[in-house]
Amino acid sequence: MRRLLEMTGIAKSFGGVPVLTDVSLTLEAGEVLALLGANGAGKSTLVRILSGALQRDGGSIFLDGEPVAFDRPEDAIRAGLRLLPQEISVLPALSVAENIFMGDLPMARGRLLPRVDRTRMRAEARRLLTELGLEVDPDRLVGSLSAPERRIVEIARALAGHARVLVLDEPTAALTESEIRRLFRVIATLRAQSVGIIYISHYLDEVFAVSDSIAVLRDGRNAGRFATREASHEAVVLAMLGVRMEGLYPPVIGSSGEEICSVERLGLRGGQGELSFQIRAGEMLGMFGLIGSGIEMVGRALYGALGPIPGASMRLKGAPYRPIDPRTAQARGIGFVAAERKEEGIIPDLSLRENITLPFLSRYRDGLALSRERQRADVKHWIERLDIRTRSGEQPIRLLSGGNQQKACLARWLIGGMHLLILEEPTRGVDVGARREIYAALRTLVARGLGVLVISADAEEIAGLVDRVLVLARGRLAGEFAHGVTAAQLLDAASPAVGAA
Amino acid sequence: MSSTGDLDRRTATAPRSGLSALLRGSRAGVAMLLGFYVLVLLAFTLISPWFFSFKNMMSIGANMSFIGLMSAAQTPLIIAGGLDLSVAAVAGLAGVIVAQLHAAGLPIWPAAAVALLAGGLVGAVNGLFTTRLRLNPLIVTLGVMSVVTGLALVLTGGLTAPLIVAGFNWIGSGEVAGLPVPLLFTVALYVGLGWQLANTPFGRFVYAAGGNPEASRLIGVPVERTLMVLYIFSGVVGAFSGLVLAAMLGASAPDAAGQHLLTVIAAVVLGGTSLFGGRGSVWGTALAVLILGTLDNGLTLMDVSSFWQNVARGIVLLLAVSLDQIRTRALGD
Repeated sequence: MRRLLEMTGIAKSFGGVPVLTDVSLTLEAGEVLALLGANGAGKSTLVRILSGALQRDGGSIFLDGEPVAFDRPEDAIRAGLRLLPQEISVLPALSVAENIFMGDLPMARGRLLPRVDRTRMRAEARRLLTELGLEVDPDRLVGSLSAPERRIVEIARALAGHARVLVLDEPTAALTESEIRRLFRVIATLRAQSVGIIYISHYLDEVFAVSDSIAVLRDGRNAGRFATREASHEAVVLAMLGVRMEGLYPPVIGSSGEEICSVERLGLRGGQGELSFQIRAGEMLGMFGLIGSGIEMVGRALYGALGPIPGASMRLKGAPYRPIDPRTAQARGIGFVAAERKEEGIIPDLSLRENITLPFLSRYRDGLALSRERQRADVKHWIERLDIRTRSGEQPIRLLSGGNQQKACLARWLIGGMHLLILEEPTRGVDVGARREIYAALRTLVARGLGVLVISADAEEIAGLVDRVLVLARGRLAGEFAHGVTAAQLLDAASPAVGAA
Repeated sequence: MSSTGDLDRRTATAPRSGLSALLRGSRAGVAMLLGFYVLVLLAFTLISPWFFSFKNMMSIGANMSFIGLMSAAQTPLIIAGGLDLSVAAVAGLAGVIVAQLHAAGLPIWPAAAVALLAGGLVGAVNGLFTTRLRLNPLIVTLGVMSVVTGLALVLTGGLTAPLIVAGFNWIGSGEVAGLPVPLLFTVALYVGLGWQLANTPFGRFVYAAGGNPEASRLIGVPVERTLMVLYIFSGVVGAFSGLVLAAMLGASAPDAAGQHLLTVIAAVVLGGTSLFGGRGSVWGTALAVLILGTLDNGLTLMDVSSFWQNVARGIVLLLAVSLDQIRTRALGD
């Protein structure tokens, strides 16, 4: 094998906060390197730098021993380096062959008008697809293909562009087990063709099944490199999670009261799975699962954001509960903090005060107009209680840091006097200091008798924070644990072995 | 431009110095427009001896009322993430309805009420298509515009009809204490809307719905209902502006209003409202309407042909929008 890619001393920070510090990575031709790390470890930042989508602050990248600099993704692609993001990106209205050659259509020579050479394009497409083990008509529309077939078309497109390094980001998130095995066969083919592959996944079993070596990132630094054959699950998980930080999580008190909410037969993943559970007053229930397990739907279903859920039966404080939309959920005392803060949590141009008071504006009515004084008083109270760092409540919320925005998303429901609070990924993109404060605030709320449901793909957070954990895999309950469970046990319960039915 | 219309500068604890504070502030866009308006006034005053008089100013106000009314209703709709291209066509239809019903023997005010109702109905159709079926407002209101324009032509055979009814013509050409009545209507609408947007829950919903519709739905903002109300409002105000125009002209012409659609949209954009929603204010729109009206008036006084006035209007729009973009980028906002 020869050294294909080398990254040394890579550094990157966003707004003064370091995201990557002195990160190094090497990849041989024909090697499958798994890149592992908890949420926020810096994996995606690293591969975005590699693919030219982001510019590094420091460090060097060598391809075949030559130093390279990619200003734009096009530069990286030209150099033979392709990032295939988690979301498959194909053009569904075009044919398989057109998708494969879109960047560089073969032209017919010696004609008056330039014209695409369809015969050659079809033949080339067929050859590439056969190598990858996919037998489809190159004229078929990509829209009619299944998810793994589209993925293979995407890989064929990369090979047609003479890619030598492929970065696959969570390539199995939307695939079934037999489809995953098919993808693994394609990866074996690529390896035989001396393509270097960086494989990003949360699924440890997949990583052990497909990779030659494993590189681990933690908090933006190298945290270990293993030869897959010699590594153990335990060693890799320890490298990913590190030693638990002291004092990040408040102590669990565990004195839950009566049932607040019960859910029966909630269909997940398009009916592939079904889930039943209860939440009690004064309880912090955690829900953990990997990407694609269905956890991302649970909170939204409960909050009415998915509309009425046929088949499911829910009760809230003993009375039947049929959420139609978020407003009905709010009226029954349910608050919700969405995972994607920028897209779903904040109105960027409105002020901190307006963002916090938005769901309960009618409470601030003074005749026809809103009373800004009463809004200010309430917002000031929560700014102090949650220690939101801002010049004033009148700052546009987009100017605040992620942690402070998240506190505002939480404060929104504290004004309302809710019974049940649902939080998705409560500390994604939030710095450690703000995380500690958010955890402490949640604990205080629970102690006051609120029910809290924390939905997170961060095993360490779930293990440290909550009273009770439900683990989901492929839309079904895969385990229930009390506080004291370790992150490694959660990851284990959430990863169904590849190949098992 | 980021005039959310509700940022109280007094509470900012770190005061910034003069010009830079003004350029950075949330009202910077409106301040720039005001400066530009003053420049235009000065220039025409120097060029034309007839320009700067109370009479001429009032005539600009009266002439721009028709555009100003439509632009006022369009502003919150665009801030909330909507758009109504049918508004000028509705104005034309309203004039036709009132003239024909009156000719058929209905008293003028009931006829006017029917015209307003028709405007609201068209607005409701726009709202239903865009919020229930989630169709793109550009396409929906373009289609509705064509239907409404067509209906007005069908009803009249394309002919202009006189509409002289003493009480009715007052809303287009009357005066109160020397001030033109249509201008009073327009000012009242702007003040009412400006207050509403800044001070009521509905006003906050308008900015939230346009600023981030997905987050707004999850927070519980009635995004669809807000847009529905604004589409109906745009239809009613469109019809009202059509009545004002008919009253002013003393005639109803099915195609009198349609040509002004682009001026309406241009005024809203020039006023600093983002076509992507979430940002803007009616005060910016008001200044933009004044600037466009003053340009037309001044150039007419200078004997510039109306063909060249189109060119001037377009250049001002491009210039203003580019300047604003440069300002925004330079300040890294």
